Amino acid sequence: MTASAKRKTVQGVTLCADPAREDCFLVAQLDSEMQKFENGMSEDARREKLHRHMNNEMGALEIAAQCLADFPEAPWELRMQLARQAFDESRHVRALHQRLRQLGGYKGEFPIGNFEWAVTNVCDTLAARLAIQNRTFEAGQMDLLGALRQIWRSVGDERTAEVLEHILADEINHVRFANQWIRKLIQADRRLLLKVASAVRFLADTNAVLAGESAAESAETSSAQHKKLGINVEDRRHADFSDDEINEILRQAGMSSLASAGAQA
Amino acid sequence: MGLILREKAEHLATFRWLEVYLMETLAGWVPTTREMEVKVLMGRHIWDAAQHADALGKRTFELRAPLHYTLPPLPLHLNMMNELAAVEDTAGRLQAVYDVILPGLAARYQQYLRNSDPLLDEPSFRVIEGILNDYARMRKESEEVRAELRETLVFDAERAQRWSRQENAINDFVVQGSGSTLAREASA
Repeated sequence: MTASAKRKTVQGVTLCADPAREDCFLVAQLDSEMQKFENGMSEDARREKLHRHMNNEMGALEIAAQCLADFPEAPWELRMQLARQAFDESRHVRALHQRLRQLGGYKGEFPIGNFEWAVTNVCDTLAARLAIQNRTFEAGQMDLLGALRQIWRSVGDERTAEVLEHILADEINHVRFANQWIRKLIQADRRLLLKVASAVRFLADTNAVLAGESAAESAETSSAQHKKLGINVEDRRHADFSDDEINEILRQAGMSSLASAGAQA
Repeated sequence: MGLILREKAEHLATFRWLEVYLMETLAGWVPTTREMEVKVLMGRHIWDAAQHADALGKRTFELRAPLHYTLPPLPLHLNMMNELAAVEDTAGRLQAVYDVILPGLAARYQQYLRNSDPLLDEPSFRVIEGILNDYARMRKESEEVRAELRETLVFDAERAQRWSRQENAINDFVVQGSGSTLAREASA
């Protein structure tokens, strides 16, 4: 049985069972089990951010690798992109682990979660997995990284800002190839559109259940986060999101007034 | 005696299959291997194997075979690869790839170079020499990870030696086709 075929149940939702982790890691199943800090940029909080990001990059590596293992019939050019993504995510894990150690942290210092792996690998088509992992999670990370590198700079941590800047550049490529291939795959088989839509809906519902919110509350939380950190319009454009798609994301984030201006900026 | 054109394409197509198999094996192992450093090592080498397969697949087209022509090896070699891909412990996986598969493949690539013409088949030489350089780097990186994890991983040297002996005992690994050349229309 492949790693993506194993299942677990969390709060009544069936998800893909966690990937293998060393005993030093405490794996959280709910966001409430993760460690949070009052002061978002205290020394402990900084290490927790790096530790969490390191595990997320490990998850991204695992998801790209699992796509290669699960979809041998995918077009070769797409498999090459996934292989390249595995390499990039590996370098990200290393860079973040190195930075974590430089700041006095270590593997297993904080709880980790494998939410992205658990949701993405429930999807049984490559198009849906790309839509969830690359087009949603990684695109969201682009927005986050666009703002975070400035936050690290503002507290005088130029090295971490530099690491995040390089990670952001790689993530844009991952989102771009996913956007391009999802379009191609759907053009070749229109039924995939339904699979992609169902996967996105499943993600929204799961997000809401695991965060202990209604779907509407979950959308509000996401909107509030996006308002706080902003939408990375420029990089979304580099990642081959259309102006219409960027406008829709701005509208969902409660930035309708920026939508028309943002798309033309 | 040197290889004829068709045999060269068949060898490269078989090497391509083996590189894709290596890529898929490493990919399948990443989520099921516990140690973070080993996941990272495998993630890096997935991309190496993919690039090797890509270069070999482009070269097969230049040898009058289909683009990305791919042939599975003969059953004995195929079974050996399947046996190694089924290993579940981290130490065994590291030994399977870096002590058995890569040295075994390197020897087969070198045998190809000895049986081909460095001028007429120079593009294949360039591809293979690049792969051999990568293998040396990949093995060095695996040694660094093993050194880092020496207190947590236990390596069974006897098992790795047995695998290597099995691998070395397999001489023929390429399926031979028919005719003196391959038509581009042949199935890839």
